[in-house]
Amino acid sequence: MDIPSDKKTQEIILDSIADGVFTVDTQWHVTSFNRAAEQITGVPREEAIGRPCCEVFRASICETACALRQTLDTGRPIVNQAIYILNAQGDRIPISISTGVFRDQQGNIVGGVETFRDLSVVEQLRHELEARFTFADIIGHSPRMQDLFDILPQVAVSDSTVLLEGASGTGKELVARAIHDLSRRHDQPFVAVNCGALPDTLLESELFGYKAGAFTDARVDKPGRFAIADQGTIFLDEIGDVSPAMQSRLLRVLQQRTFEPLGTNQPVSVDIRVIAATNKSLQELVNRGEFREDLFYRIHIVRLTIPALRDRREDIPLLIDHFITRFSRLRQKDVIGVSEEALAHLMEYDYPGNVRELENIIEHGFVLCHSGLIQLEHLPPNVRGSDRSQWITAPQATTLENMERLLIIDALRRHQGNRKEAAKQLGIHASTLFRKARALGIELPATDGRSHKE
Amino acid sequence: MRVALPVWQGRVSPVFDVAGQLLVVDLQGNQEADRQVDSFEGLNIARRADRLAEMGVETVICGAVSRALALHIQGHGIALFTCVCGTVDDVLRAFQHKTLTSQRFAMPGCCGRQRRRCRGG
Repeated sequence: MDIPSDKKTQEIILDSIADGVFTVDTQWHVTSFNRAAEQITGVPREEAIGRPCCEVFRASICETACALRQTLDTGRPIVNQAIYILNAQGDRIPISISTGVFRDQQGNIVGGVETFRDLSVVEQLRHELEARFTFADIIGHSPRMQDLFDILPQVAVSDSTVLLEGASGTGKELVARAIHDLSRRHDQPFVAVNCGALPDTLLESELFGYKAGAFTDARVDKPGRFAIADQGTIFLDEIGDVSPAMQSRLLRVLQQRTFEPLGTNQPVSVDIRVIAATNKSLQELVNRGEFREDLFYRIHIVRLTIPALRDRREDIPLLIDHFITRFSRLRQKDVIGVSEEALAHLMEYDYPGNVRELENIIEHGFVLCHSGLIQLEHLPPNVRGSDRSQWITAPQATTLENMERLLIIDALRRHQGNRKEAAKQLGIHASTLFRKARALGIELPATDGRSHKE
Repeated sequence: MRVALPVWQGRVSPVFDVAGQLLVVDLQGNQEADRQVDSFEGLNIARRADRLAEMGVETVICGAVSRALALHIQGHGIALFTCVCGTVDDVLRAFQHKTLTSQRFAMPGCCGRQRRRCRGG
């Protein structure tokens, strides 16, 4: 029986591996190339051996950030880095690579090895998952967003008035548009009005329109937004900001679906669906007598709450991917993602401006980053500042006591002084938080914070 | 004739889609009249093709190139030699002497492909 030579044995072992494997000498010439490498790259072994690895492998990082070069320079391996290569047919193949170093008996580097795995199937699955996590341009795979996606089609077909609650930048208008697009009115107008942006007199003429001669500059008839939205949907954003007088007029439209343009007593009938939105608690405004109770109940038929981004942090990577793809197309740049360090900061940040703020942060990154990964230094200073590792390296954070102090202060800040919520975040009872705060000399806010909780 | 090559370390860049530098050479007959280097760093594929057209490039000689970028380039009516490898001077000389399709300048695994000279538009 023939016993295979060492080289032959190595070749058999390498060919039995499902991952692509190739080795190089110190001059970057390919010295071995297994069967999986042939299949993934489309390059036959006999053509690959002895050629510069960049001409065989054709990876997105060959010129700028060769993984093998980094490993040979530093002696440190790279594990599972995601890149793409161009195969012999010019197709982009997503792969993950890992590297290692060969040393002789004296410890001198004599070459390197790179293994790579075809991620085409994984990428395909990822795209299918992305489709599941996207609903009419709204993105999220968090349970709260998935719940919203589940209920939206039923809400849309119901034709009921909808109240959307959520902080600024959470995407209330996107949800309103999704409801309109899924409704029977989808081929009719969708008209959005920001009620908080206009003074009463302007809002009145904007919503109801006017007849020529209604006031000095009214030379011709102007249809209002309600008339324009006839048969379709009107989206009344920031409805909590309208004055009591305007609330009365809106109530009449909602009750009777009729209104009178300025300068006429002739009522106009409209068939519209109303979607209202607010970043305030309308219930609290009603309790304080600042919002009409009858109007509240007219619009509070179906209420949907859109969670703040900090309450669905698991959606942040998905949203980052979405914005990067969009800005890459718009700005014509080859930015492929964010670095691990940048992502860690983006995951930590509080996002008072919600998804809109995240979008702005990524756009800021695109201004400073020309290609490759958005790094920490490409992010705005306020995002870079939210660094827990900075606390750890800070001189005052060297003791357990100081760490406790910093964590408590941060938790209180995150929850606007709400001790109960801060304690919940820290996993301790509110009375323990109070006791610890007193022992550590932390001045608790004069107000508890519950009164202005969103 | 204006010819462009993505270059890296004195050779034709292995992947045009991510190449950082473009060498643009003006040829008059078989003589080189002018050469300049342009930065292509950070440009996406559509912008790369647009930039070539803006510069009045008539022929591109490159290494590996994605189908998408190849289509963009050909869409501008620019002739394209792909899967070419070798030092910049050797490749330019071979182009001038019409021997670029020699196996010597073929990237591994691309033997049939690089011989095709594509022109769109």
